[in-house]
Amino acid sequence: MMTVTLDIVTTAVLLFVVATGLLVIFGVLKIINFAHGAFLTVGAYGALVTTAFGLNPWLSFPLAFAAGAVVGLLVERLVVRPLYGRPLDAILATWGLGIVISQFITLGFGREIQFAQSPLSGTISILGETYSAYRLITLAIAVAVGLGFAALIEGSRLGLSARAVIMNEDLARGLGIDTYRVRRMTFVVGCGLAALAGALITPLSSVDPNMGVPWLINAFMLVMVAGSSFLSLALAALILGGAQVVVSSYFSPILGGMTIVLLSAVVLRLRPAGFGRD
Amino acid sequence: MSRRCSRSASGLVLCALLASPALAENPIKIGVPVGLSGANSVVAPSVVQSAELAVEEINKAGGVLGRTFALEVADDGSGAAGAQKAFDSLIFQKKVDALISMETSAARNAGLPLVQRGKTPFIYTSFYEGRSCNPYLYVNAWVPEQQVPPIVDHFMKENNAKTFFLIGSDYAFGRGMLQFSRAYIEKQGGKVVGEEYLPMDGSDWTPILSKLRSSGADALVTSTAGGAPNVTLTKQLRAAGITLPYGNLAVDEGTAKSMGADAEGIFISASYVTSIDTPANKKFLADMKAKFGDGLKTPNDLSVPEYEGVYAYKAALEKAKSTKVDDVIKALADVSVDGPRGIIQMNKERHAPLTMYLGQVQADGSVKVIQAFKDVDPGNQCPNLK
Amino acid sequence: MTEESTIASVAPSTPSARAGVERLRRFAAVLGALAILVAAGPFVLDTYLVNTLIRAFHYALVALTVDILWGYAGILTFGQAAFFGIGAYAAALVFTHIGFSPATIALAIALALAAPAFVGLLLGWLSFYPGSTPLYASVVSLAFPIVVTQIIFSGGTFTGSSSGLVGYQVVDFPIEAWFWVAGGGLIVFGALAYVFVKSEMARVLVAIRDNEERCSYLGINTPRVKILLTAALAGIAGLAGFSYANFSAVVAPELTGFVFGTELVIYVALGGRGTLIGPLVGTIGIDVLSSYLSGDLPYVWKLIVGLIFIAVIVALPNGIAPLVEAAWRRLVHTRRATGSERPVGLSSKPVAAVSTATLEIVGVSKSFGSLKVLEGINLTIVDGELVSLVGPNGAGKTTLMRCVSDGRERSSGLVRVNGQDIEIMPPFRIASLGLGRKFQTAGIFESLTVAECLRIACALHDQPSFLRSLEQLALPAAARLVIDATGLAELLSREARFLSHGQKQALELAMVLALEPQIILLDEPTAGLTKAERARIGRVLIDLVAQHRLAVVLVEHDLDFVREISSRVVVLHQGKIVLDGTVADVVGSQIVRNIYLGAGHA
Repeated sequence: MMTVTLDIVTTAVLLFVVATGLLVIFGVLKIINFAHGAFLTVGAYGALVTTAFGLNPWLSFPLAFAAGAVVGLLVERLVVRPLYGRPLDAILATWGLGIVISQFITLGFGREIQFAQSPLSGTISILGETYSAYRLITLAIAVAVGLGFAALIEGSRLGLSARAVIMNEDLARGLGIDTYRVRRMTFVVGCGLAALAGALITPLSSVDPNMGVPWLINAFMLVMVAGSSFLSLALAALILGGAQVVVSSYFSPILGGMTIVLLSAVVLRLRPAGFGRD
Repeated sequence: MSRRCSRSASGLVLCALLASPALAENPIKIGVPVGLSGANSVVAPSVVQSAELAVEEINKAGGVLGRTFALEVADDGSGAAGAQKAFDSLIFQKKVDALISMETSAARNAGLPLVQRGKTPFIYTSFYEGRSCNPYLYVNAWVPEQQVPPIVDHFMKENNAKTFFLIGSDYAFGRGMLQFSRAYIEKQGGKVVGEEYLPMDGSDWTPILSKLRSSGADALVTSTAGGAPNVTLTKQLRAAGITLPYGNLAVDEGTAKSMGADAEGIFISASYVTSIDTPANKKFLADMKAKFGDGLKTPNDLSVPEYEGVYAYKAALEKAKSTKVDDVIKALADVSVDGPRGIIQMNKERHAPLTMYLGQVQADGSVKVIQAFKDVDPGNQCPNLK
Repeated sequence: MTEESTIASVAPSTPSARAGVERLRRFAAVLGALAILVAAGPFVLDTYLVNTLIRAFHYALVALTVDILWGYAGILTFGQAAFFGIGAYAAALVFTHIGFSPATIALAIALALAAPAFVGLLLGWLSFYPGSTPLYASVVSLAFPIVVTQIIFSGGTFTGSSSGLVGYQVVDFPIEAWFWVAGGGLIVFGALAYVFVKSEMARVLVAIRDNEERCSYLGINTPRVKILLTAALAGIAGLAGFSYANFSAVVAPELTGFVFGTELVIYVALGGRGTLIGPLVGTIGIDVLSSYLSGDLPYVWKLIVGLIFIAVIVALPNGIAPLVEAAWRRLVHTRRATGSERPVGLSSKPVAAVSTATLEIVGVSKSFGSLKVLEGINLTIVDGELVSLVGPNGAGKTTLMRCVSDGRERSSGLVRVNGQDIEIMPPFRIASLGLGRKFQTAGIFESLTVAECLRIACALHDQPSFLRSLEQLALPAAARLVIDATGLAELLSREARFLSHGQKQALELAMVLALEPQIILLDEPTAGLTKAERARIGRVLIDLVAQHRLAVVLVEHDLDFVREISSRVVVLHQGKIVLDGTVADVVGSQIVRNIYLGAGHA
């Protein structure tokens, strides 16, 4: 019972971190970045490179973030900016972008499945159960990311501008906010977050050029259901992620794999605003 | 040669220029469809290396029937859809004379109709769940009748295990192996308290591991697709702190080495381990090291049969004195190969009796042999074939 | 009582008939040439190419269904692959678990058609409900193949899970026969699709894509059209899947997957959505090239395709086919008409018997949370009345229009159209009761011609044809009146996007009248019109009320216009009716003056 609860919490937390980057971009740019899975993969390979060079595995997180941010910067001008206001086309073009990024990764690293070292191995005895130490650490990291983000949004000028753009871009521009810069910075941060999430999940499984796709789908559904606030995303991740774990544990892991997707479609049908406020 | 050429466009041009003299020779083409991507991608490089060494040695010694061997490698994606494309390309586009390869059962099953249509001899060099029968198919690797009993017997005797938990990948191999294991366990008086599967590409074993823990089983037996699923399962197993006796029916030495410390303690039952103490094996290992140097992937139970498979084809060609398919198919049952695994002949209903080794993975990644079983019979695999 | 039937041109004139026969001959010639190519193919091409083409033909057929959905109906779907896969699995499951015989073959075909069609109905019901957005529909179409793939994985040995199903007995054709079956099937379906997209029914699809709201106010049950379209194309994709399962003798979960579904969209986008030929050539071309190049240059090829795809979406949203077409035209020096090439004959419908019209609004209120926009509106309007609804901005005039034309809008109260309580009926049902609504911003269909727009407006009474393209347009007298008066009768072949603002307004009015309503609601019909156009519209409206006995309700700000034409004026202020009387009553009213000029409080 305790194990399932811990599974639910750590799974929800992973989903939250993975989906955050997508949500940020959707909220400010009103675009769904279907290359999100590819950025996840960029971060994962960043972690691979870090451990291959013999550096401290903990460094892979900031390095992954940087890698994602750099690629995001390169891409924003060419692909993202022209697609503003064309959400369906944005999905398609960013999916193409994801393919291109994956192919570059394959050219550079080969298509085989590889493995990154975990920064932390072993188990911790918690609340009567032994549980994977690394999974518990991801919990801490996710909370740190969440809080750091909240601080950024609430406390910084960029955050304030971003919130203005989310609410009413034309008005924000009219008030002198450089919305292009806000959108560019947001996209860069969103991609960096995706890469960070990728580095976070690699020690748990494996790394290959197409690893991002299943995560992309789940993150996408969560963002659709969450609307545009972090709180509702956290709520969605907890409820839907929890449902996934419960179905996997008590019924079948395969059915569990489609729980999030199925439940999201149903929730949106019944309540188009999802978990967010109308 | 061709695979390295395909790595870059300029390489392609260069190799085309260099290869032109060879084109005039009309080599015998061996197709190698293998999982360069997907679940098997962890082991595929070692398989290709074995094939390359065998071809190089044979060509240096004068080739076969006055011609050289050439390799055509194709990616089957470790699955059914990819295998269709790979087999189609090798048989109908590149027009290979034979297929010699290791692949997942999903890929093999999907490729067989094409093998039938193209009438191409196919030497399957991978261990698998048994009972795959086709007029053009030969197998020189083990089947469950040879591989499962040593592990189960060891757990029941040495660890007093009465209850077993089975985990596998959800496809023909995973299910076939565990079905056999369950039957064997129950025949020996044990009980199976859990049997769980994930799709071949699945990598999140968390809910299954939770079930394992709560089942209270005495021992764990797993049969996932070779390669990545083994690694993810073992990693997550160790991360969850599970220390049950762990028998892995599908892991090879190379993959075990890449798992690092996590692999320590795993029991395997294989027809090949690098520590086999025979002159043939020692020479094989030395030649591999000489050819590939630091890029050598650990030879293992999935890659060594490939080496022997190429030699078996050579022997069959020489016996049949031609590449005519029907003659080659008949000859394959009569020829034997003396290689790193000893003397192997595929004369038991298209399968081969093999010497099996029960071993345990050590902390440094090597395998310590606990017991050896000579010439274990594969049983009745294809009673209806010829 | 003479029922006059002014038929302008009933029998097609001889030149146009000859043109029609010429078109048919050209079409048959093209089909014949393609058939010959397909027949000769297996003997001329090598086995590998034949194999590859058979597979490509199957994929191209599914790509055509994606094009009809996306390029014509505007529904971006990633789910067609899943229907293909369901059809394939239906065949494989039947042959594996039940056996192989003529009876099971028939069963498998039936299942491969029916199961995807049924699932298509469900999917359509889930995606296309009143109020759904295109984004939601795409999201569902994305989730769908994932769910199907997972269901297959969970089927264990029944569905083969990751391995798929292999070794089942199949319809045993030699490879030449498969080439003919696949190629022939593609030609047949392509021809049918070509005829369909030129038909009147396909114009309805385009109209829904351009302006779904307008369609529903014209009485078209747009969700039902989309659901039925999805189900029909799902069945066709399933049938292609059945054929594929027999040809390849292997079915794997990848056939139903989301990656395959996305690839189909890519092929259609690159080829050129909405052109049929673009996606067909694009799919076959890319698939064949991939099977040759991805062996030798695996990553580079996919990279190139990815880059071209991005470029196309960003810069060339219509794909490559239009470029090819433009280049071809320049080469062949043919001029392009700015609309459809076929002239449309115009005729009038016999005048319908005059019927009474009543619109009863009883105690209608509308609130948004605590904000009351309308309160206790009581109003009855009958035929022969020309009622103007006036009041300052924010008084609730447009809201009242909405509450009358859409049964789900009002918060409380009762609305009866011609005696029928509208309850919570959606707009298309209220339109069929005899209520037409004209919007403030001209709601027309930009990509259709004037004649096609009008034809869509007649759809409620004249079922659009699935085969014939638009050649004859029969309009009711009221609509005819408007087109003749505003000069649109000469512009039947012009695309609606090229009309002037005034012409668009007139077109929309004609479309609403083509619906043959007894009651019309007009939202600021004179907005943006010149003085002459305004005068013309005024005369038209008076005519409609006097001669055709309609009930007309306008929302207007132009008080001079109101004064000239209205028989009755209703003044709305802060959500309540303040005055309901003749023009003279309102003009002389102090209350109205206060409302508009803001003098002193009551």
